[in-house]
Amino acid sequence: MVIVVLFVLLLPVLIKDINRKYTDNWLHRQKDKVLQTVRSQGIEKYIQNGEGFGSYNALLKEEYVSMDVDSVDRSLDTIVNERRLVEGDTIQYRILSHNFRIGNKNYLLEIGKSIDTINETTAPLQNIAFEILLGMVLLTILADQFYSTYVLRPLGRIIRTKLIGQKFPSRTPYRKVLTSTTDFAYLDISIYKMMQTIENTFQKEREFISNASHELMTPISIMQSKIENMFGRDDINDEVKERLLEFQRILNRLKSITKTLLLISQIENEQFLKEDHVKVADLLQEVYDEISIRLQEKNINCEIDVPADWELEQVNKFLLFNLVFNLVNNAIKYNKENGSIWIVGAKVDKHYILSITDTGIGIDAVQLPHIFNRFKKFSKSLQQDSFGLGLPIVRSIADFHRIQIEVESEVGLGSTFRLIFPDEALKKEK
Amino acid sequence: MNVLIVEDERALTTEMELFLQSNNYLCETCYNGATASEKIATNLYDFILIDLGLPDYEGLDLLKEAKKHNPEATCIILTARAAVDDRIKGLDLGADDYLSKPFSLLELQSRMQAITRRKYGLKNAIVALGNFNIDLTNRSISFKDIPINGITKKEFDLIAYMLLHKNRTLTRSQLSEHIWGSLVNDDYDSNYIDAHIKNIRKKLNAFDTPDWLETVRGLGYRININS
Repeated sequence: MVIVVLFVLLLPVLIKDINRKYTDNWLHRQKDKVLQTVRSQGIEKYIQNGEGFGSYNALLKEEYVSMDVDSVDRSLDTIVNERRLVEGDTIQYRILSHNFRIGNKNYLLEIGKSIDTINETTAPLQNIAFEILLGMVLLTILADQFYSTYVLRPLGRIIRTKLIGQKFPSRTPYRKVLTSTTDFAYLDISIYKMMQTIENTFQKEREFISNASHELMTPISIMQSKIENMFGRDDINDEVKERLLEFQRILNRLKSITKTLLLISQIENEQFLKEDHVKVADLLQEVYDEISIRLQEKNINCEIDVPADWELEQVNKFLLFNLVFNLVNNAIKYNKENGSIWIVGAKVDKHYILSITDTGIGIDAVQLPHIFNRFKKFSKSLQQDSFGLGLPIVRSIADFHRIQIEVESEVGLGSTFRLIFPDEALKKEK
Repeated sequence: MNVLIVEDERALTTEMELFLQSNNYLCETCYNGATASEKIATNLYDFILIDLGLPDYEGLDLLKEAKKHNPEATCIILTARAAVDDRIKGLDLGADDYLSKPFSLLELQSRMQAITRRKYGLKNAIVALGNFNIDLTNRSISFKDIPINGITKKEFDLIAYMLLHKNRTLTRSQLSEHIWGSLVNDDYDSNYIDAHIKNIRKKLNAFDTPDWLETVRGLGYRININS
């Protein structure tokens, strides 16, 4: 494209240049002709009695030839644009001046062609060249069109159906893309095989998670039942029961960690469906109801300000609930007594952003990049009952929904977690 | 009430049996799908608890058989497998409920009772506690004839759960598992149960002292009914 534009822009210059060269050639040829005549027939044919010779087209004065005795002794052979006065008309000519010597006399030969005449041929030439160029560009576009719609059609189909449209786990059987080109057929089958490998890996991981879950959960389940049954017995005294309680507490911890880790693996293995519609305001209300007892305990003021019509689609409600719950829960956990939490939804530069701001202890800038790592615990959070999986859950749920998370924090003042929702998650206005 | 427990993990089966027996259920147990299939085809049960992870049998097939031969029975699926699909499939095939392992035995009993209540449409589900009446169907509490407003959903859940397991001390973790069980969060020992109980007491105290709601020092809470 750039080349074409450049070419079109340079066209007048090029044509002018070609035309000038052509004119100069013509002038030289005329000069040679005159000199030939002079050599064969003598200078007297043109100059008699020392009187100069001049000839031009009578009417239009497009060309002229003149020869005269030159008073100055010089050797001249130039072509320049100059004005000449011909019968009262000043005309711009392209003039070849040539100096030659016959006997002991110097002569000056001038052959001129009017610039107007030259330009007259330039314009049509330019037009012709332009038309040819235009034709060529159109031809190229047509050829491209043909190439991409017909010859490359299978490629487009492969990309659409086998790459972009691919979902895991895929439940549709392999269907060959219609093409007679061997290379495309090869590409198609290669992509299919690659997808098959990925699919198998997914499947294996899925089985692993399921088995691991079974192997871990079964013993925990047995222990929990045993403790519960013992706890319910009347012949066991309270002192023993108190110790059983500790046992139960530890078991709960193990249970929570296992459940959470399995959940993260399940999310990363894409085992959840994204088929729910969620009104953000409703979701936040549910989280609020769930969490209000914790707010009350610390006397924290929580303000929610989200547009009532803000709706998400193709999301998993259970997961989103857990995402928001964990963020708000953290905002409470690391907050001070009588602190505040603001949950605000706003549209900023076409993006929908939900921000959760607290007046808590804040996060050190050094620790900030690591807060989403699993089992990462920081000195301040150590005082809390947590095992460092809250934010990793948040991260994996956010990734699963392509929600971006931004964190801003200042130690001692508080933190803001911003969830930036992808356009596709927002319900389109009808 | 007849219960069939189909579970290949013997230790767990024993505990479930012990627990349900102590709550006056009649239990039969089997550790594999083949025996279960036979039992389901020949006997009638009120409850069938099916573990999906049987070594010899596809648990969901067993569910189909149960639906065929024991259409009246309440089927509850128990599973330790994490596949999300299973849950949907199980409920699609007619399971009445679904419990993920590890589950609390109290929770199991609570689910069984809830389904019974739903199935047989028990109308008279009002329990008198001192001067208070707890209406389990409409989920409301009244003092003599005066309705008490302001009891939250969670608070009622707690009262109903303790009522179901009356005269039994429930630990804080058992209570929080019941009301926050589906949440996946970072806290393993957060005790907001105390705060809830405090609120319940405050709301009820405005009418009368709920002396039936006992704090068992160091252990948990209990609702006492002498009958």
